[in-house]
Amino acid sequence: MMLMKNCREVTGLTLQSLDRELSWQERLAVRLHMVICSACPKFARQAQFMRSAMGRWKSYS
Amino acid sequence: MSDFARAVEQLRPQLMRFAQMQLKNEAWAEDAVSETLLAALERPQAFAGQSQLKTWLVGILKHKLIDQLRKHTREVSSTTADDEADLDEQLFTADGHWRDAPKDWGDPEHCLRQADFFAVLEACVDKLPGVQGRLFMMREWLELDTDEICKELAISPTNLWVMLHRARLRLRDCLQLGWFAGAQA
Repeated sequence: MMLMKNCREVTGLTLQSLDRELSWQERLAVRLHMVICSACPKFARQAQFMRSAMGRWKSYS
Repeated sequence: MSDFARAVEQLRPQLMRFAQMQLKNEAWAEDAVSETLLAALERPQAFAGQSQLKTWLVGILKHKLIDQLRKHTREVSSTTADDEADLDEQLFTADGHWRDAPKDWGDPEHCLRQADFFAVLEACVDKLPGVQGRLFMMREWLELDTDEICKELAISPTNLWVMLHRARLRLRDCLQLGWFAGAQA
């Protein structure tokens, strides 16, 4: 598996990590990318926020 | 009509709202809610009063919704053109870089204390195309794991991840436009 991934691939893995356990290679590739990219960490925070927002909406509603 | 029956009936519109969000089909939602209310009225002694009535009814409703999803498996996972639209093409260049980097949402946690934010979130979930919306709600509201969803709907994990991926990108887009863009203006 290629360790260097582009933003599109990392975004895909970030979203998949909400639904399945990533392999160690995938986790490493995501972490490496996050070090060199300023945009993808923002996306990752947004993805995590949406998950917690749904959890809060659930208990609120 | 007893007080209990009246209290149960008063919650019908709210249960209907949940059912519609999950099933995206009014007739199925009506069935699920009617079966929920019937189950509650047949066994009022099962409501121990230890939880809120609404919480108890929502618990019953979730089982009825899963029954409906099972009953309509084929329609539930039949995609439309909207479901198949790929947002990735709009978001990324051919070599996989962002066309426009994601905006900074700052510290969005404070939104979770605002009723207005939940109204926007709900509207955004509502706007998801049929299959994406159902799968997203099964995952995030019914809290089924991916294996359970795949088994219930006879779809592959890859198919499920693609649909959830698209749903989350749409939801993010909708929240950006409907909430965060206003805060950033």
